[in-house]
Amino acid sequence: MHTVLIANRGEIALRVLRTCREMGLRTVAVYSTADEGSAIVREADEAVRIGPGPARRSYNHIPAVIEAARMTGADAIHPGYGFLSENPDFAEVCAGEGITFVGPPPGVMERLGDKASARAAMVAAGLPLLPGSTDAIDDPDRAKALADEIGYPVIIKAVAGGGGRGMAVVREAAAFADTYRRTRAGAAAVFGDGRVYVERYLDSARHVEIQVLCDAHGDGVHLGARDCSVQRRHQKLVEETPAPGLSAEVQHAIGVDAVRAVLSVGYEGAGTVEFLVDGDGRHYFMEVNCRLQVEHPVSEMVTGIDLVAEQLRVAMGEPLRFTQEQVPLDGVAIECRINAEDPTKDFAPTPALLEAVDLPGGPFVRVDTHVAAGRRIPPEYDSLLAKVIVWGPDRDTALRRMDRALAETRIRGERLATTAEFLRGVIAEPEFRAGRHDTGLLERMKDRSRGVPV
Amino acid sequence: MSELETVLATLHRSAAAMAADPRPPARIRLGAAGVTLEWDLLSAGESTSDGGSAGAPAVLLPAGVTPAGAVPNGAAPLGTAAAAEQAGSPGAVATAHHVLSAPTVGVFYRASEPGAAPFVDTGDLISPGQQVGIVEAMKLMIPVEADRGGRVVDVLCADATAVEFGAPLFAVAVD
Repeated sequence: MHTVLIANRGEIALRVLRTCREMGLRTVAVYSTADEGSAIVREADEAVRIGPGPARRSYNHIPAVIEAARMTGADAIHPGYGFLSENPDFAEVCAGEGITFVGPPPGVMERLGDKASARAAMVAAGLPLLPGSTDAIDDPDRAKALADEIGYPVIIKAVAGGGGRGMAVVREAAAFADTYRRTRAGAAAVFGDGRVYVERYLDSARHVEIQVLCDAHGDGVHLGARDCSVQRRHQKLVEETPAPGLSAEVQHAIGVDAVRAVLSVGYEGAGTVEFLVDGDGRHYFMEVNCRLQVEHPVSEMVTGIDLVAEQLRVAMGEPLRFTQEQVPLDGVAIECRINAEDPTKDFAPTPALLEAVDLPGGPFVRVDTHVAAGRRIPPEYDSLLAKVIVWGPDRDTALRRMDRALAETRIRGERLATTAEFLRGVIAEPEFRAGRHDTGLLERMKDRSRGVPV
Repeated sequence: MSELETVLATLHRSAAAMAADPRPPARIRLGAAGVTLEWDLLSAGESTSDGGSAGAPAVLLPAGVTPAGAVPNGAAPLGTAAAAEQAGSPGAVATAHHVLSAPTVGVFYRASEPGAAPFVDTGDLISPGQQVGIVEAMKLMIPVEADRGGRVVDVLCADATAVEFGAPLFAVAVD
């Protein structure tokens, strides 16, 4: 491997480029006309304009990305997250072209990307599931009967869904048929696949996920658990490791189970196994993300392991360089996502021209970003501006450090709103401070701000 | 078509016919109905890669004619109209060509197969939708079609060249 094409944009493209450079690999950026002059385009050894702003004609357009690889002699493609990162067709095309796809094999990705077959595979590997269907349910009557049996609330999820889209909660039997129909229609329109499955919905749960890393020789390790319970509309805003409220032993046990489960289907590379943890500390398998996660830096901070470097080494066929015992889990790391969104307007995106960008620094602070003053945030893509990541020897120190870092974060522009100040409020919440929060935290904060008794 | 556009189109056609001569003249100047079309062919090869300023036929407008009326609908020549308006006088010179660009990243071919005649060449008249080339991306032959009608005044990209999305392929004097 000598030249890596980075098939992505924004902060993650730059983050991948940095590791490639540290490893002495040549880099190729691909970009759309909306990202002309962006940081990755300037930093990469070569850059190819592959299409117009809309992702389906640029970052998601397989022929354009492959042609760019061919033009530049790239022998590997790192897909980042989103876009083509979990597209088994793309991984297969790469293989057919003799290009190394940095990710799991296409067949594994296909099996785990379909949420129904992933559930079946993971339950077979011994991971606990919430009551629900292990397959897609295409018959409305059968789906309704199953929901009645599970008990409400239930959640209907598209097998092809992801990123918080393609799911709906049903709280009473009377609303099921209608929501089922709408979720199927929505999934067919958005993902081109209308299949859905049904499982019990936990109102009060924590989102806990295991970072796994597997080589192509049947070995794997976990890099601890991350808690990503601070979410709005099923999208994460704050992530931390280790997961508060779960003992180190329990987290390790879930991690070992997760590694065994993904190895059972031939997983290779970095991945994330997501779980819900209920009020009694029981965990249930949710899904596997066959890619690098947005929140991967917190795991890097407590382990000292560069996940992108390990992804590339695995893709080169190298065996893992450490055993589970050699993966340190040291201290606490927290990430806050600074998005161009207005928290007072239900997190509506605010694409804008950035007039001033002051990012935090100082001890144990890492900022992953692609933005700078004078750059325009295009409306075509996600609203992530920067990830502020801090490390501390304990959670309290890390939280005080995060508050300090967020206070230093000043990103301004006309009609621009960001989540920075809002997130200071989140980490100051007593239940978050105490590590007792769950996925309902933001809703409760909203109710409180409206004066609704909780 | 307005009378002025008809005049201009006629002038364009005549000028193109002259320019297509194996030994084209250094400069063509045609006038009709108070409109003059001037084309300096000597400097045509010197600066065309950016859509060219020197190689373009220049339209010299008579007094009292709105420059906008002399410009066919569409984007590329609008700068011309603006420039003429800014000058605020007849005789302002039209400069911009429409640039036909690559519809995707890939390898640009001028002909349907090696050895075949190119789809179009300098001097050819093209109409919207007409195939003028091919971009091959992953063994898919994606036709390059004219998005505007007019006359090809320059080929900006060599045959069998790797192109990015939006790479300029042809300069077209729109009609």
